[in-house]
Amino acid sequence: MRIVILFVIGLFLIKETKSQGIYDVNKIPPDLLKDASLVIRYENQTYDIKNPGNAVYDYKIAVTLLNKSAEGASNMYEFYDKFSNVYNLKATLYDSKGSKVKEYKSSDFKDRSAVSSGSLYEDSRVKFLDFLYNNYPYTIEYSYSTEYSGIRFYPSWKPVSSWGAAVEKSEYTFRIPETMTFKYLKSTGLKTDSLKVKDKIQYKWSCENVKALEYEPMSAGIADVSPWVTLAPNQFEYDNSKANIENWDNLGAWLSGLNNGAQALPESVKLKVQNLIKGAATPKDKIKLLYNYLQSNTRYVGVQLGIGGYKPIAAEKVAAVNYGDCKALSNYMKALLQEAGIKSNLVVIGNDMPSLNKKFASLSQANHMILCVPLEKDTTWLECTSQFVPMGYIGNDNSDRTVLLVTEAGGKLAQTPYYSPANNYQKRITKVNFDEEGSANISLETQYGFAQYEENLRMTLIEPTEQRKSLMNSLSIPNMQISSFSFNQPNKEAAVLNEKVDLKASQILTKGGDKLFLTLNMTNRQESAVTPIENRKTYFNVKYGYSDEDEIIYNIPKGYKVEFMPKDVVIESEFGKYTAKVVQKDNSLIYSRTKTINNKKYPPEKYNDYVAFSKKIYQADKQKGILAKIE
Amino acid sequence: MNAIKSVLFGLLLVANLCAYSQEKEVKPRTFKYGKVDLNEFDTKVNGADSAASAVALFDVGRGWFEFSAKTGNFIYVFERHTRYKIINKTGYDYANLEIQLYKQNGSEQNLEYTDGATYNLEAGKIVTSKLSKESKFSEKQDKNYTLKKFALPNVKEGSIVEFKYKIKSDFIFTLRSWRFQKEIPMLYSAYEIKIPEYFKYKITAGGFLFINPKEERVNESFISASGTLNTTSLKLHYQVENVPGLKTENFITTMEDYVSKVGFELSSVTVPGEVYRDVTSTWPKIVKGLKEDENFGLFINKRSYSKTLLKDIIKINTNQDTIVQLVFNYVKNNIKFNHDDDFSTSETNPKTVFEKKSGNSADVNLCLLTLLSEAKVNAFPILLSTRSNGAHPGFPMITKFNNVIVGVQIGEKTILLDATDKNHMPDMIAFDNLSHEGLKVNLADETAEWISLEDPTISRKNINYLLTLDGENKISGKMYLSTTNYEAFSRRNSYQSASNEDDFLKSYKNGKPGLGIKNYKIENLTNLNESLIESMDVNIEDNVEEAGNLIYFTPLLYERTKENPFKLEERNFPVDFGHPTEEVVRITIDYPKEYQVDKTPKNEKIILPEESASFTFLFAGEPGKMVISSKIVLKKSLYTPEEYHYIKELFKNIVRKQSEQIVLKKS
Repeated sequence: MRIVILFVIGLFLIKETKSQGIYDVNKIPPDLLKDASLVIRYENQTYDIKNPGNAVYDYKIAVTLLNKSAEGASNMYEFYDKFSNVYNLKATLYDSKGSKVKEYKSSDFKDRSAVSSGSLYEDSRVKFLDFLYNNYPYTIEYSYSTEYSGIRFYPSWKPVSSWGAAVEKSEYTFRIPETMTFKYLKSTGLKTDSLKVKDKIQYKWSCENVKALEYEPMSAGIADVSPWVTLAPNQFEYDNSKANIENWDNLGAWLSGLNNGAQALPESVKLKVQNLIKGAATPKDKIKLLYNYLQSNTRYVGVQLGIGGYKPIAAEKVAAVNYGDCKALSNYMKALLQEAGIKSNLVVIGNDMPSLNKKFASLSQANHMILCVPLEKDTTWLECTSQFVPMGYIGNDNSDRTVLLVTEAGGKLAQTPYYSPANNYQKRITKVNFDEEGSANISLETQYGFAQYEENLRMTLIEPTEQRKSLMNSLSIPNMQISSFSFNQPNKEAAVLNEKVDLKASQILTKGGDKLFLTLNMTNRQESAVTPIENRKTYFNVKYGYSDEDEIIYNIPKGYKVEFMPKDVVIESEFGKYTAKVVQKDNSLIYSRTKTINNKKYPPEKYNDYVAFSKKIYQADKQKGILAKIE
Repeated sequence: MNAIKSVLFGLLLVANLCAYSQEKEVKPRTFKYGKVDLNEFDTKVNGADSAASAVALFDVGRGWFEFSAKTGNFIYVFERHTRYKIINKTGYDYANLEIQLYKQNGSEQNLEYTDGATYNLEAGKIVTSKLSKESKFSEKQDKNYTLKKFALPNVKEGSIVEFKYKIKSDFIFTLRSWRFQKEIPMLYSAYEIKIPEYFKYKITAGGFLFINPKEERVNESFISASGTLNTTSLKLHYQVENVPGLKTENFITTMEDYVSKVGFELSSVTVPGEVYRDVTSTWPKIVKGLKEDENFGLFINKRSYSKTLLKDIIKINTNQDTIVQLVFNYVKNNIKFNHDDDFSTSETNPKTVFEKKSGNSADVNLCLLTLLSEAKVNAFPILLSTRSNGAHPGFPMITKFNNVIVGVQIGEKTILLDATDKNHMPDMIAFDNLSHEGLKVNLADETAEWISLEDPTISRKNINYLLTLDGENKISGKMYLSTTNYEAFSRRNSYQSASNEDDFLKSYKNGKPGLGIKNYKIENLTNLNESLIESMDVNIEDNVEEAGNLIYFTPLLYERTKENPFKLEERNFPVDFGHPTEEVVRITIDYPKEYQVDKTPKNEKIILPEESASFTFLFAGEPGKMVISSKIVLKKSLYTPEEYHYIKELFKNIVRKQSEQIVLKKS
């Protein structure tokens, strides 16, 4: 009897010490602490597919938050909708020694609607929990299961979720019936284990002791240097729709099928279309008239329910209310064109996302829909959710990427137009007229094109008081008073905006002893330079290509002469080109500057060249001329 | 008390500036749903609003009481009817309507009906498009809130849109408030409310508009379970017309402080057959209510858990100051604030909060209070309305509060405690709590009084550079940065929020091109009672420029104020900084003997009336050495719109003087 008791106590003690210690912060390998704000102690995700429409997802993770910079990661959330159900929610909080502080009850988890901003209605919801604790470091542990009764995606695996995240151990187990196929992409060097388990094939990916990455600005992403797997179904069932999306061709065919017949229009709208295009000579004219009709009669209202995430609301319904989301409005435009005898294709696109991967068909690479009107020599692309942009201008975030055209014959990959740095221009002529006190009357005339037009389009939509505030903030001219301003788009069919501002400023010239200093680039300075990084690891992206041209004409204030003017500057590299020069002509100084920045992705070793390029521009932009009193 | 006065003073003056605030008889108007006049399509707006995206043709609300057979209680019915003309595409949002409904413990708000329509003028005729069933959505936000959403059809530039809806509510403690102003111009806005004499409500009105209050007595009867109740009701009516759009400005508390509105909070109930209940009519009554509230007074008085906990915290200490410090430290280090401001706890027992180790602001601060009271410290709750919640109207009204902190009386001095952040210290409360005044609550005596929440201590930032300029235009030397109060608070926070020191320095160097830092040291990071001291070796490139035999630079380097934060010519609202500040920059530079200062900058001093703010710039030099110092003092936390001009001029001069170049000549 005594022996038994001792044995039981002994076991109890062992169990106790074990459960107290596993998340002890001291057990984290020291090299994982370097540059880390959090350490994933272990992560385990399993996705088990029963059939094309049903699967179960199990997730468990323990994360140690090392300091306050990890505060944003001190939570759990899982999204669900009509076709999924989250259950078995468990969560525990441990202190730095790994002792349990608190076990959460099911009532601690919150349930909330998750309608994305810009959308009126979606059926998406989220279960979430905030872990709140005041003493770093601490560890959070949570787990849950999600049951899917409709599938469109397979979960991906991305154990290094952010900068400053280290991983002790993470694994992903994926099981699929052997009768089904799927596809996946993975990071270079990652090992895939697969074996047959009963009537399923089980795949496994894992990683151990992955060090944290220090933040790198302008990064093209940490995917190049950390482990990941992206998966996508070939066959799936969702909201009573069966799909095969093995390749882009049949993904397009599936979307085309969903969309079948959705272009029927009520008689009244048909009549309107016929009336509108009566006088139009060319197909291009017809498109113009109908696009204009769309822009002035419809508005964006996002509603997404189940399959409605892919299937546009029928044109007939849009005609009744004159609103819809990107799919509904693109399809409505397609219907209007069809009535005018013009063929067009819906376009699946990743707005502000990378191009579609040509060899990997999946739904998660796109978030938007536009319309493509292929004419014999000249294809027109239409962004149907904007009531403002000129026909054919689809916006910088839609430009130059691989997209999917939905055609009757299936999906076809295509490339949207490229807006070059020269297209995205800003041209400004500034006249500065100093009076005897050194105050100046200044007039600025600026023209913006394409992406820069888009950036400034907002100015035409706000009220004068807001326009004034906005100008005050964007023109960094010290102590200025705006006397008048105007914005106009001279040609409704071109993505060009004109801006005219007249102002007074009293502090353009700064004093130094008995000399006057003039920062020659008064209106368009690059105010800082990027900082260098030793041993950069990730690619960097110059996302935005543009070109600026400035000319500033100053009169030399009475009683002063030029004492010093900086030399001409020419900076040229693969990142772009910069020139600046100043010439004196009679009693005026003419400063001219050009700057072109190329948008491109560059390898990490080029970063410090880019830093040097940027620094030279920064230095050139703050150059000053010196004026001295005529004695 | 001074602070309160100055706030009110500021508001009154603004009110006088607004032409439309003058008393003017407004004729009551009535509107019929669906009856749109042709000339409403011609509505034009002018002046500052000439580019408005839409105009509210009218916005009319009506509220009354009904007896509910279902609940056996009075309920509040609210009906609203509103019509807009949409001028341009930016105004399309006015064709969408969202109504949030609340339910709790079986009581709820119900949307009885919603009608909506769009009217378009086509070939001289009005074409009506009704709100269809498919355009009505209901979003269950969480267990308490549901959002009803509506999107009108066929909206274009020039459309007129109209909504009418009715809400029945079981909650009658506060009645729906009414705003007479929007961001867009409003032609007519009116609110009428009928309150049976059984209920007395406190009415708050805010903003600058004269809202033409009218009241009369009318007879009403209600059918209750026990028969018909005949009573007199108070009918209140407010209206305005031709109100310009409300435009926001920087450095304000919240626009809520400036929008014209009325709100209602229950003060007493005398329903026949029931005992008279005085709910919130006076401060003592409010305090009594709080005292008996399980999420306030009763919470504070549950001491059994605190008793044992307290022994561990204070041990054998008896000094009051030490006890306060120990208890304060314990609470702020052990209970994590969940960023919900409330004056009412989320739990009914401190024990639960201590075990959960997190909670809302009342959970945190009332736990602090219960421990202090247990330790026999003279401590009391202070109710306040945060800056983002808007100023409290001042008279007995509980619902306008949204936060609670703790006051401690030791001898003559009152100390404010707010344990919602580890970096808070005695007399330094969260910035959002700096709303100038708070209500000191004495639960034992059941009394209350307004006290000042002004921070008497100036938040200081002291920067000292000891530098040498070499022959290659490079500057190197030492930099010392010393900060106190809110200045130190924000630096402590950013240091602790960085993943490591390198990261922190990286963001410090951000926007300071050419700066290199070595040997960074930080002192008193957790010793909150002392100034935060940072020191470093600095290396500065790119800041000294050469032109022929001249060398020049802006002497304040990275510390100069480059832009005037006050850009607008005029301002209608006070400038509210929250607390007084002082910034001193002192720079000593040794330079090569063969250089001479071309011309020494002038010393300047600018002082605002009553010395409420000042700027001093001094230069001193001897061969091979110069000392520059710049000092900006903002003594007040709040400047009125009349003082705006001075503040703007002050900063204009700071920008000018600090941008002056120092010119050296090579000999």
